[in-house]
Amino acid sequence: MDANSIVLDDAAGDVVVVVVEGEHDIYTAPTLRERLGEAIGRGGGIVVDLTGATFVDSSVLGALLDARRRALEVGQGFVVCVGEAVEPGVQRILDITGLVPVLPVVTGRAAAIDAARSNGDGAEA
Amino acid sequence: MNAAAPDVRLTMPARPEGVAVVRQALAGMADALDFDATVLADMKMAVSEACTNVVVHAYDDSNGVLEVDMLADEEGLTIRVRDHGSGIQPHAHHSRDVPALGLGLPLIAALSDAFELRGSSGRGTEVRMTFHHARDGDPAEEHPIRGSIGQDGRWDPDASRETHTN
Repeated sequence: MDANSIVLDDAAGDVVVVVVEGEHDIYTAPTLRERLGEAIGRGGGIVVDLTGATFVDSSVLGALLDARRRALEVGQGFVVCVGEAVEPGVQRILDITGLVPVLPVVTGRAAAIDAARSNGDGAEA
Repeated sequence: MNAAAPDVRLTMPARPEGVAVVRQALAGMADALDFDATVLADMKMAVSEACTNVVVHAYDDSNGVLEVDMLADEEGLTIRVRDHGSGIQPHAHHSRDVPALGLGLPLIAALSDAFELRGSSGRGTEVRMTFHHARDGDPAEEHPIRGSIGQDGRWDPDASRETHTN
């Protein structure tokens, strides 16, 4: 079992959740880009769940920002979520880059799934 | 406790998988030195960004070396991340077709208590970061990251943060 995993969870139906756990950096960013590409390919909303993530660097932010741009271009919702207690290795970079409202980042997967349904097609107009 | 931690030098191939190894070594060193968890988190982020710069930008091929020195004193811990590459200009062709975001150096400046970049063309680059046990304030407030993500997908220091809010 890889502690630094990235898996797709499509239990929510029309919104696919990319579950990111453990530490992620330049080494795992290409895998994250692949998974995000798969998620975009499914055509629905996309949630990236960082609840189980303990560290993400700027390579990960770059992958998330690219995926967000691609998703919004084709009218798919894109939302990142964290848990109630966020690891300093995740919270700090989100705070100081001001990307919380941009990505956007919300608390809790359920809220993120709702938001991804509403910030896709139609919500941009 | 401070006297118990020796200075550390890591030398390894400048490859993506090495950056996590540096973080592990840094966590062990910071633990031995009784650093606060919030300072350790900043250290891990800043040092990761410096190592990532070496992995992505320093060498034209995959045979380059990444050197990391950790030097402890009464005040805190200084970490030097060094390469012997061609300088700090990005090699676009060497980053797996993915342009760098351009946030590495701003993050290092924001997260460290002191930061210095040394380098010259053809002689490699050294990033030197110091982290203090007792911080006067939050370094990210003293050296805030300006800007936001630009239209081209790279960090734009002049971009307004508000205009990108959905």
